[in-house]
Amino acid sequence: MEQRLRDEAKTLLEQGKVDYIIGFEPGSLKFTTTPLITKDKDDIDRLVINPFIVNNLSVFLTEIEGRVGIVAKGCDSRSIVSLIQDNKVAREDIVILGVPCPGIIDLGKVERLAGKDRDELDDITRDGDKVMVTVDGKKNESPVTEVLYDNCLGCEFPAPQEYDVLLGEPGPLAADKAASRQGIEALEGMPPEQRWEFWKEEFSRCIRCYACRNVCPACFCQRCFVEESEPQWILPVPRWQDNLIFQVIRNIHVAGRCTDCGECERACPVNIPLRSLTKEMYDIVGDLFHFKAGMDKDAPPLMTHYEYEEAEDLIR
Amino acid sequence: MRQESEWEPKLVGFLCKWCSYAGADLAGTSRKKYPANIRIIKLPCSGRVDPLFITKALHLGFDGVLVSGCHPGECHYQTGNYRARRRIAITKKFLEYVGVDPQRVQASWVSASEAGKFGEVVTEVTKGLKEIGPNRLFAEEGQEHGTKATG
Repeated sequence: MEQRLRDEAKTLLEQGKVDYIIGFEPGSLKFTTTPLITKDKDDIDRLVINPFIVNNLSVFLTEIEGRVGIVAKGCDSRSIVSLIQDNKVAREDIVILGVPCPGIIDLGKVERLAGKDRDELDDITRDGDKVMVTVDGKKNESPVTEVLYDNCLGCEFPAPQEYDVLLGEPGPLAADKAASRQGIEALEGMPPEQRWEFWKEEFSRCIRCYACRNVCPACFCQRCFVEESEPQWILPVPRWQDNLIFQVIRNIHVAGRCTDCGECERACPVNIPLRSLTKEMYDIVGDLFHFKAGMDKDAPPLMTHYEYEEAEDLIR
Repeated sequence: MRQESEWEPKLVGFLCKWCSYAGADLAGTSRKKYPANIRIIKLPCSGRVDPLFITKALHLGFDGVLVSGCHPGECHYQTGNYRARRRIAITKKFLEYVGVDPQRVQASWVSASEAGKFGEVVTEVTKGLKEIGPNRLFAEEGQEHGTKATG
């Protein structure tokens, strides 16, 4: 799959079909990958596809001018479709190199499972629904569902929804829907006051670095409401009240665009369980309007469209 | 500090000028009684309502928010209320999930001739707010509200 990607990417650059290739290269830390954005075909051999290609690269599409070849997993491809729906990128300007994604491995979960730091692990390999973690030359086998990211466990569409080249066949899905909604279920079991206290507690830690906003492909406003000064809706000071309003409104703004890629939660430096907000909004939109983000590039975006009869039970 | 018994909820109403605002006007000119707890903000359409208005009103310490617009199919701009409906629906559901009592976020369709319905809606919403008590969501410890809401 990796070699095919390199061949395709090289051909695209050589034939001048794209100006840039966006993909993944090995990161500076063990096992990790990092985004690679290049117009130089000598860089192409650094491209990788492995179980650690975590980032949603579609966030770069709104920043890069010109035609782009982009590596996209299932959720990333939906983010791209969502950007096309919103007229943020043109379909003809992008070549989607689709990766059928069997789920991404959460290194944090591997560390907890092995009880070792990632630097002390020799190797992590995946084979179907098993994962082999090698520590001190000893191989430990576990079900892969124990180490996949929570959002991957709840993944509905592991194969790209929109692509020009599909690199390999979609494999079986290692899903654990219950585990992917664990945080939400726990919250829904609480009385409302306790839920509010929970979020108050979480957002007291928020330092308003805006990593969640910057990493999110659906958060593409030129000017965010938090930076408006006339009126100043919220203060730039990271008080929990303002932090919570920021995140509530951010979620409402990305409703119908969020594909549950989980990047916001991974980007958060203080580990606020942001996916418990985004996933809930994803489900609300699905329940109320039978809408799933990024499925059809010709469909209108959620908030520009309506049905004559819907959500009437919420209104007097 | 005020006594709890004297407490009256503060409700902010975002009303469409083509229907609900005229409905509220008619309620007044028809001498219909409804609670004075509502502070009305006139908007050109319920579609003007940004979820941020609702959240910010709660942040300022208002006890409830009422958005009111034209019945489906009767929007002066054809589709404003349909768009409002989607926004309000997700806002209400999402705020409920975060821990805001759904009674604090209300919406209604009131036409220009429905002075009676306007009175009923405001009465019911105010009654509901009295039951759930003051909005202390954004209050700091020891503070009465989170708030600068006056008037």
